[in-house]
Amino acid sequence: MTVRQHSTRKPVVVTGLAVTTAFGRGLEALRQGLAAGQPAFGPVTRFDVARRRVDRAATLPGDPHLIDEITDAVTQAIGRAGLGAEAAARTPLLFARHGDQAPPRLTLPEHHAQAQHTSGTEIAERCGLRDATRTYTNACVAASTAIADAAALIAAGREERVVVAAGYFVDADAYALFDAGRALAADGHLRSFSQDRKGLLLGDGLGAVVLESAEAAADRGATPIAALLGWGRAGDAFHVCQPHPEGLGMAAAIEAALGRARLAPDDIDYINAHGTGTPLNDSAETAAIRRAFGEAARKVPVSSTKSLHGHTLEASGVVEFAVSVLTLQEGTVPVNAGYLGPDPACELNLVVDAPQRVAPQAVLSLNAAFGGANTALVLGAVAA
Amino acid sequence: MTGLSVEGLSVLSRAEWPEAGDDPVKGPPKLAGFVVSSFAPLAAEAAERCLRRAHGEPPAEPGRERRTAVLVVSKAGDTATDRAVAKAVDAGRSVQPLLFFQSVPNAVIGYVAKRWGLVGPVVCLSPESDPEQEALATADLLLLDDAADDALIVLLELATEDGAHGTATALLVGPDTASEVEA
Repeated sequence: MTVRQHSTRKPVVVTGLAVTTAFGRGLEALRQGLAAGQPAFGPVTRFDVARRRVDRAATLPGDPHLIDEITDAVTQAIGRAGLGAEAAARTPLLFARHGDQAPPRLTLPEHHAQAQHTSGTEIAERCGLRDATRTYTNACVAASTAIADAAALIAAGREERVVVAAGYFVDADAYALFDAGRALAADGHLRSFSQDRKGLLLGDGLGAVVLESAEAAADRGATPIAALLGWGRAGDAFHVCQPHPEGLGMAAAIEAALGRARLAPDDIDYINAHGTGTPLNDSAETAAIRRAFGEAARKVPVSSTKSLHGHTLEASGVVEFAVSVLTLQEGTVPVNAGYLGPDPACELNLVVDAPQRVAPQAVLSLNAAFGGANTALVLGAVAA
Repeated sequence: MTGLSVEGLSVLSRAEWPEAGDDPVKGPPKLAGFVVSSFAPLAAEAAERCLRRAHGEPPAEPGRERRTAVLVVSKAGDTATDRAVAKAVDAGRSVQPLLFFQSVPNAVIGYVAKRWGLVGPVVCLSPESDPEQEALATADLLLLDDAADDALIVLLELATEDGAHGTATALLVGPDTASEVEA
């Protein structure tokens, strides 16, 4: 047989982080929102939803400018990481975003000229980063795929440091699509893993993460805020828009992430699930967790914070990465809101009443997308 | 580390749409469940040709042992679907339900991956510069990171002018055997 030769992978740490959700701008707003455990959903006023079946989402006030806000988040994350201009100029940006509403309303040549990669390049230029050679567009796993690829680049020694940024603000086009696909929760609540769950609700979200090798961080005296211990991505090979009912792809992603982290399922103290609140996703994700975790699936606390901040689409990976870091820092796992009672297809140790104190050392963040895409990220606590 | 580089990848098979004998005006074969746009049909047809040249009949390999990643790489993405959605929203009409899933470029990967049994990572990119080089660099990273054993890359762009036709190229790439060692 043939094998590939690998040198020891470099440990990857998080030195900078910024996030915005409907709870507000900054990590502190998200921390307070998670602690309160009250969903951020309200009536949509940003655009007309009179013809839609559902009229709720988790949005910031008004109609903020996505690229300006992501630029601010990247600047904050770089500042938190303590990166100087020279270090930033050597650092690439891996960007992920939902499609912009404006270009499809221009002429066709203008539409092509404003392809999604152009905003990544603009943000990199504004923030003094080296480049943004690719923008991830694979829907709900776009940001988590970018984080996994960033970690792979650092672990292999190809990059010393990578900034990942992603964003989505609730918009009329995506809202109309999710409404047409009957994916939005008609009862106005996102009830992940619950009986009588009706679907998802969209949410504003964006964030930026600075990842670097532990060695590079130590050399410049930076203090890590978390470790990225493992990452995995795998496909279902099952359907255009349905997850594999046995969760085969997500289970493979979890196993790859745990293997890379050299952790057993018992070592994971919390799972931040994808948990969209759709009937098919949540049962398939339950099957994946049970398949990958075995007996440990009975004990590990699980919640989907989409039930609080909504589904932020391409930004999900970075928003939920921030939730995972806060969970490690606070020692508290966030609640799975909107829960009405158990569904036999979703037998997990759900955090349903209030946030729980568990002092986690390692947490798992899961995401999935159409086409059978699955990602898993394992984050670890660092000594205070 | 293997020292795999973009240059170190082997191209196992390659296909295009259109190729000799194709009718660009008629477009690629229709794909059930996809409407309005030729984005998904182009991706599916190029992928089918490429995989048939490498593997013959589907599936590529039964089971989940061989992890083939699938990358869809397009600067502008599915502009036809995006424009159809914008037009319906601006007119105050309902959007066709089928556009819900086809509005994301990874949806067609589900079709290709199921047909051929491809269980590796699912990645979609809008590259800043040369799409083939960026796609190869991404595939190379997935192999280097041991996330995939090989990768199907589909590069495609819809027409930039009304009345023109889109094009697609598919490549199946694997590690250059010169970069591996016998165990």
